Amino acid sequence: MNTASQQAKNTIAPAGSWRLPLGPARSGRSVLLDKRACGANLLLAAALFTACVASLCLGEVSIAPGAAIAGLFGYGDGMDVFVLQQLRATRLLAGVLSGAAFALAGCLMQTLARNRLATPGIIGLDNGATAFAVASVLGVGLGIAPPAVALVGASVATAIAFGLAGGIGTQGYRFLVAGIGVGAAFDAITRLMLARSAIDAANAAYPWTVGSLNGVGALALNMLAVGLVIGLIGAAALARALGVVRFSEGVAQGLGIRVRYIRLGALALSVCLTALAVAVAGPVGLIALIGPEVARHLSSRRGVPLMGATLAGALLMVAADLAGRVLFSPIEIPVGLISTVVGAPVLLWILLRPGHRIGV
Amino acid sequence: MPQRRVGLWLAVLTGVALIVCAASLLFGAGAVGPVASLDTLMRTLSGRVADDNAWFAIESLRAPRTVIGVLVGAALAVAGALLQAVTRNPLAEPGLLGVSGGATFAVAIAIALGADAATLRVPVAQLGALAGCLAVLAASRVRGAGDDPVRLVLAGAVLSGLLYALTSLVLLFDERTADEIRFWVVGSFAGRRPADVIALLPGLAVAALMVIGIARPLAALALGEHVASGLGHRPRLVRLLVVVAVALLVGSATAIAGPIAFIGLVAPFVARALVGPDVRATLWLCLPIGAALTLGADVVSRLVVRPSELPLGVLTALIGAPVLVAVVRSRRLPTL
Repeated sequence: MNTASQQAKNTIAPAGSWRLPLGPARSGRSVLLDKRACGANLLLAAALFTACVASLCLGEVSIAPGAAIAGLFGYGDGMDVFVLQQLRATRLLAGVLSGAAFALAGCLMQTLARNRLATPGIIGLDNGATAFAVASVLGVGLGIAPPAVALVGASVATAIAFGLAGGIGTQGYRFLVAGIGVGAAFDAITRLMLARSAIDAANAAYPWTVGSLNGVGALALNMLAVGLVIGLIGAAALARALGVVRFSEGVAQGLGIRVRYIRLGALALSVCLTALAVAVAGPVGLIALIGPEVARHLSSRRGVPLMGATLAGALLMVAADLAGRVLFSPIEIPVGLISTVVGAPVLLWILLRPGHRIGV
Repeated sequence: MPQRRVGLWLAVLTGVALIVCAASLLFGAGAVGPVASLDTLMRTLSGRVADDNAWFAIESLRAPRTVIGVLVGAALAVAGALLQAVTRNPLAEPGLLGVSGGATFAVAIAIALGADAATLRVPVAQLGALAGCLAVLAASRVRGAGDDPVRLVLAGAVLSGLLYALTSLVLLFDERTADEIRFWVVGSFAGRRPADVIALLPGLAVAALMVIGIARPLAALALGEHVASGLGHRPRLVRLLVVVAVALLVGSATAIAGPIAFIGLVAPFVARALVGPDVRATLWLCLPIGAALTLGADVVSRLVVRPSELPLGVLTALIGAPVLVAVVRSRRLPTL
C-alpha cells in the first residue's frame, strides 16, 4: 500500500473545520476549511447579493427585482434598461469594488500593525491619497490620471505615518494619534487646493471631502477592478503567513516565515487598494474599520478573515449608498457621511468600553 | 527668578501680538495695500482728510476682524490650557476633543429650527460646548481610557468627526441653513459686525473672572487630588468651574468664528516650553500667544489666495498637526 494515501486517509480534520482533498488522493494534499468562516462568508455573500439587487431596484424610479436583473442584461423596458445599465450598474459596481478594497486594505493593515484600530483611514492614508488626487484633478502642474497620483499620495502618507512610528511602534495609540496629525495636515492641503480653485459649490467638492459615489470615472473604476483582483490573489497568498504573524514575530520566524517580506507585501497591497478605492469613492475610511470588525465577529478566531472582511466591506458600502439615496429622497446623502454617522459610534465603543484590547 | 521670566516673556509676546494686530490692519485681500493703509491710518489719526475707500476697508472690515482674532485666539488658547490642566493631558484640545464640534452642531440645529442667527448663536454655542465638555470629562473618567492621554484624544477625534458629519447632514437638509453657515462652519473671521463682537463680551468676561478665581486651586490640583484637598481646595468644584469656563470660552469663540482647531494645543504647548508647567504662568502667556497665532493665521489666510480667502482652519491645521505629532512622539508623554 502507498503510504502517502494511507496517511491522507488517516488524517482527520481538526474540530470545526473540513478537510478538502486537493488533486489525487495519493498526493496527500488538502486544504482545511474553517466551518464557521465558510458559513460567515456564505452569509455575507447572500446579504451582499440582496443589497445589490435592492440597490438596482430602488431609487427615483423603482423597478421590480425580476425586471431589474433582466434589464441589466438589456431585456425589457427601454427606459429601465437605460437607468439600470447607464446609471445604477456603474454606481453599484463602484460601491462593491471600493467597499471591498477599503475593507481588505483595512484588514491587512490591522493585521500587520497588530492593532485593531490601525486602518488606512485613521492613520491618514485616505487624506493623503485625496490630496494628491485633487491636485491632479485641478491640474496643479500634473496631467496624470487621478488613481495613479492617489497611489503616490497614499504611499507618501504611509511612509510618513510608519516613519513616525519608528520610535513608538505601531501597537499603541500614539501611532494612531500621530496618524491623525498626518491626516489633518493632508486634509488641510486638500481644502487649500479646493479653496484656490474656487470650487464654490459644496456638491462639486463632496467626492473629495466626505466621500461619495457620484460621478465615478470609468478609468478609476477599471483600475480599481484590476487592483482588487490582484489584491485578492495577493491576500490569499499572504493569508497563512499573516495568520501566524499576528500572534508573534518570534513564532513566525521560528516557523520559517520571512516576517519582513510578509509585512511589506501586506503593506504594499493595503496602500494600493486604499489609493485606488479613494480615487473612486473619496475618503470613506471607516468602512476599513467596520468591515473587518463585522467579519471578525462572524467568523472564528483562528485565521485572518480576509475574505469575510472583503465581503463585509462591499456589503457596508452598498448598503450605505443605498440608504443615502433612498432614506431622505430626493435629498441624497453622500456615502461618506452615512458611514461616519454609523461607524463613529462603533469606533467609540471599541475605544471606550471597559476591558478592551486593541490587538488583532 | 521665575516670576521675572514670566513677566519678561509676557512683555515680549504682547509686543509680538501688537505687531500682528498692526499687520492685520494693514494687509488685506482687497485692493487697499499696506502702504495706502498706513497712509490712511496716519492721516486719520492726525485728523487730516483721508481716502474714504481705504478708511472704510480699515475701519469696517479689518478693525472688527482684528478684535475678533484677538478675542477668539486668546479664548481658545486659555480654554486649551484649562482643559489640559484639568484632564492632566497635554493633548487635550477643545477642537480635537469635540468641544468645538458640539458648539457647531448646536448652532446648526438651532438655525435649522428657525432661530435667528445673530441673537441666539452665542448662548446656543455655549450650551453645545458645555455638552461637548461634559462628554470629554465623562470619557476621561472611564477606567482605562482616562489614564491614557492618547486614547482620550483618539476618542475625542472620533467624536469630533461624528459631530461634523451630523452638522453636514443638517446642512444638506436645509438650504437656508447651508447658505447662512457654510462660510461659518469652515472657520473664518470675515464679514462679522461690531454687534456680533459685543454679544460675546458678557460670556468672555464671566469666563475671565472664573479663570482668575480658579487659577490657584488648579495649580494645586496639578500636584494631585489629595494635595489639593489637603490645601483646602475642593477638586470637584474646581473641575466643574473649569468645565463651565471652557464651555463659555469655546462657545463664544465658535459662535463668532466657527470651529477652529489646534490653537488650544499649540498656544499652551509654546507657553509651557517657555515658562514651564505652572498653570498660572501658562494661562497668562496663552493670552498673547493665542491672539498672535490666530490673528497671524488670519492675516496669512487673506494673502495666500488673493483675491479670495482661505478658511482659517486650514492654516491652524497646518501649524498644529506637526505640533500634535511632536507631542505624541516625545519619548515620555508628560502628564500634567
